[in-house]
Amino acid sequence: MPSTQIPPITGAAIDPPSLRPPIGDAVIERIDPQALRARLEALKADGFTMLLDLGAVDYLTRKPRFDVVYHLLKLPARAASVSEVGTPVRMRILCGVDDGQALPSVMDLWTSADWAEREVYDLFGIVFEGHADLRRIQMPYDWEGHPLRKDYPMRGPERERSPRPAFANKSNVVAGTPPSGRTLAALQEQVKRVRAQDDKTP
Amino acid sequence: MTMSTTPLTPEIVSQDGNAMVLSMGPQHPSTHGVLQLLLEIDSENVVKAEPEIGYLHTGIEKTAEGLFWTQAQTVIERMDYLAPSSNALCYALGVEKLLGITDQIPERAQTIRVLHMEMTRIASHLVWLGTHGIDLGAISVFFYCFDLRENILDLQEATGGARMHPNYVRVGGLNGDLPDGVLAQLDALIEKFPGRMRELRGLLQANPIFQDRTIDVGVLSPEDALGWNVTGPSLRASGIAYDVRKAFPYCGYETYEFDVPTRTEGDAYARFLVRLDEMEQAMRIVEQARRRLDRPGPVMIDDPKVAAPPKETIALSMEALIHHFKLMSEGFRVPPGDVYQAIESPRGELGFYIVSNGENRPYRVRTRPPSMYNLQALKGIAPGNLIADLVVMIGSLDPVFGEVDR
Repeated sequence: MPSTQIPPITGAAIDPPSLRPPIGDAVIERIDPQALRARLEALKADGFTMLLDLGAVDYLTRKPRFDVVYHLLKLPARAASVSEVGTPVRMRILCGVDDGQALPSVMDLWTSADWAEREVYDLFGIVFEGHADLRRIQMPYDWEGHPLRKDYPMRGPERERSPRPAFANKSNVVAGTPPSGRTLAALQEQVKRVRAQDDKTP
Repeated sequence: MTMSTTPLTPEIVSQDGNAMVLSMGPQHPSTHGVLQLLLEIDSENVVKAEPEIGYLHTGIEKTAEGLFWTQAQTVIERMDYLAPSSNALCYALGVEKLLGITDQIPERAQTIRVLHMEMTRIASHLVWLGTHGIDLGAISVFFYCFDLRENILDLQEATGGARMHPNYVRVGGLNGDLPDGVLAQLDALIEKFPGRMRELRGLLQANPIFQDRTIDVGVLSPEDALGWNVTGPSLRASGIAYDVRKAFPYCGYETYEFDVPTRTEGDAYARFLVRLDEMEQAMRIVEQARRRLDRPGPVMIDDPKVAAPPKETIALSMEALIHHFKLMSEGFRVPPGDVYQAIESPRGELGFYIVSNGENRPYRVRTRPPSMYNLQALKGIAPGNLIADLVVMIGSLDPVFGEVDR
């Protein structure tokens, strides 16, 4: 099934932004985690009033592994007409960060970073230092793992599946055509094992 | 750094004084979906509101990574289920930019896309208006809205084959031209619309009960709106005329005449008025697009590497057969790179940050969900209001949970 495979990692995935022809959708800047906070503070002071979005990309084999992407918009706070807004400047800050490395939170600069940082933490496991309430947002609180990482299986974590005895007896397995290729005897053996286990557990 | 495992920490539960913690939702009918609100209340007043989201998380971004570029559009369309075409269009525009075919999209396809987008906007605002009315006890508005919306859905069904998720906008153009009879249906809708809008306005706009419930409720100042990253009608109701259609035009929006309605009050009533005005402006664009549709033309890019050749040619041409087979079995490849594409969805700036590694599947599709950021502003505007006004505020922010949780 091709749709369940992890997408192939090729050399081209290492840094797509540097490979592409200029599209001109934003001003792009790549920055180190150490310089990130100061740069964002300067941009905020420069009039980038909106942190439009904050996302991440997992490049798995690259060093550093993740890219955290900040999308900024320079929108004036007093712009009552379309002409005053004009074409605001879009800016994209890419910050490479390794597994286990923390980034400074920008929640105090833009309040909207709250949920965005929580989501990146939840789905990628990137920690934002200084975030007031960094907990999972999309996944359940007791979830293990970070689903949007590339090494996280597409169909979720492997779970031991218990065969359903009643279903196995009724299905076409009994009619002699096991869809899994396993024989009826093997299945009945498995069913017996599961039932024995069920009896043991109170 | 604190990382609590449950939202209700002991400190919150066991606090003294008049404050108490109330959980509203996720099954509450007025939360427009599966939203849970953890409210800290002092008698009837909200001290703190903490929305809990994620109940509808379906891993669409993860799923998209395992699908072909075209297949991914199917799941992406299901994010904002009240305006499905806007998701599809934004994604398609982004992929087209990466492919470098943005300027090759046929004019007729662009016109129909605009038409479709504006109809979606009206349909989406109609659902918002109907449910917002119901929240406030105005039941009849709902029926008026859904009647009109049904006409739009009929058109969507005629063009794309499905009422809710037509999957009509494709990378490279559209999935087929408008079928016969659709234009007549469209003309009938254009004719019907102004009268129905008058009725809707008459039901609510000057209604003293509605005004009492919405005026000065959930006020969002321009600075707060920017800080909370609010976009769309909610931002424009706070006095900032930011509209992606005007600021970063796509699909030829710069060639249409329309106004961007703004208000300065920033309350729920202002957001209501902005959306109503926006529906009328959307219909203005629909009328202009309708006039351009009399000229026939292609609706899909003429590039067999991206768009499948017409079905009839398969029996006649070997190349067509090969292209068809290749596109269906392994899709097309997109040059490596990344792009951020934004459009003005009914809820605000919908953006896709798409990364390609040159394969036939997207490497990463990150959505900028307008609903999520708009809903987050609830944390800022809810404190100090009555619990009863919470439903007004949620309704006026118009979140769609398919998109908030993805």
